[in-house]
Amino acid sequence: MGEVIVVTSGKGGVGKTTSTANMGTGLAAMGYKVALIDTDIGLRNLDVVLGLENRIVFDIVDVVNGNCRLRQALIKDKRFDGLHLLPAAQTKDKTAVTPDQMRDLCAELKNEFDYVIIDCPAGIEQGFRNAIAGAEKAVVVTTPEVSAVRDADRIIGLLEAAELREPKLIINRLRPKMVKQGDMMGIDDIIDILAVDLLGIIPEDEMIVITTNRGEAVVLDQHSRSGQAYRNIVRRILGEEVPIINLDESTGFFKKIKKIIGLG
Amino acid sequence: MANSYSVSGFGQDMAADLDDLVDEKTILVQRTLRSGQSIYYDGNVVILGDVNPGAEVTAKGNVIVMGSLRGVVHAGAGGDENAVVMAFHLQPTQLRIANHITRPPDNETVEADYPEMARIKGGVVTIEFFQTAGERQGKNI
Ligand SMILES: Nc1ncnc2c1ncn2[C@@H]1O[C@H](COP(=O)(O)OP(=O)(O)OP(=O)(O)O)[C@@H](O)[C@H]1O
Ligand SMILES: [Mg+2]
Repeated sequence: MGEVIVVTSGKGGVGKTTSTANMGTGLAAMGYKVALIDTDIGLRNLDVVLGLENRIVFDIVDVVNGNCRLRQALIKDKRFDGLHLLPAAQTKDKTAVTPDQMRDLCAELKNEFDYVIIDCPAGIEQGFRNAIAGAEKAVVVTTPEVSAVRDADRIIGLLEAAELREPKLIINRLRPKMVKQGDMMGIDDIIDILAVDLLGIIPEDEMIVITTNRGEAVVLDQHSRSGQAYRNIVRRILGEEVPIINLDESTGFFKKIKKIIGLG
Repeated sequence: MANSYSVSGFGQDMAADLDDLVDEKTILVQRTLRSGQSIYYDGNVVILGDVNPGAEVTAKGNVIVMGSLRGVVHAGAGGDENAVVMAFHLQPTQLRIANHITRPPDNETVEADYPEMARIKGGVVTIEFFQTAGERQGKNI
């Protein structure tokens, strides 16, 4: 029986799709069977990030409407046999799927896959409610900006209300230099407000943009810091204790991080 | 409010002479209020957790936060000018007591790491270090 994880944020553009693609690819690279679900109906792009856009025939709306079987809509990844994508529909809107249908869908995928990872749309409306309906665990992505952290806090409150307790946090696009100069929120400021466990910190890295535009995943890039950061996140999801990469020795924030644990 | 009552459990009974934070109606909130969450109560509110930015607490009586208060707080919402706000870390976005509305100065970055209390004194909201009873009486605790 697999595990269903939703990747959410509240604020748009903070790295949900990037994180979903990299966690999924990373887990598949370690031999796990992974299904990724794009619930951003009308604004799909997980398929583009994975470089699978031209293989889409059926999508999530086709599946819940019974136009095709689930198996027919799942697209196999180019590199890893264990990695599959259930794409969002591009020509419908968020109301084309209901939370009950999502619950059924997740239950079905869970039987076959080790990890089902759901890419949530921005916002707190129906798209968000659909995305979390079938999830058992949640990952919240934020950037070190006051507005993103505020939205992450709002999302954590809504997740808790939906019985998705103890979400894990990814802090994306950290620029250590700016933190040092006091121009960006530091890790400890963020944890202080959100009071959740950290799953990982991803630095601002142009390799993410480069790999994304090629339809590749940075988690497979052995030379970049963001790739390393995503590989560490994958190991934490698998239950390993991996120390957070110390992006900046001089501020010593590493010492201040109290709890670092996996999703286990 | 009547000011004569006694407090026990300190070895000896002592008469309280302050306009104390005692009232019949108090609720205890045993969690952190996150952005978008709010509480209204027509008595005192005690929060065992934080009040995050974007959260709101409104009470007809006093508000006590056993954690960081970073959201919007309104004590004495029914017009009670004797209401107070107390927090371990008092850094509200906006603080209101009765009809007085205050906010921190725009450039202030100093964060006190001791409990503070806001109350109306001489018609203005003032914030002061919150001393425990023991300290007020010069005892070691
Ligand atoms: N660590 C990073 N360094 C540099 N660029 C990044 C980083 N993380 C994400 N990006 C870029 O930021 C943009 C937004 O990322 P992404 O699409 O993953 O966000 P999202 O949360 O899924 O957005 P939406 O809310 O629109 O779905 C993308 O162009 C991506 O390449
Ligand atoms: Mg996205």
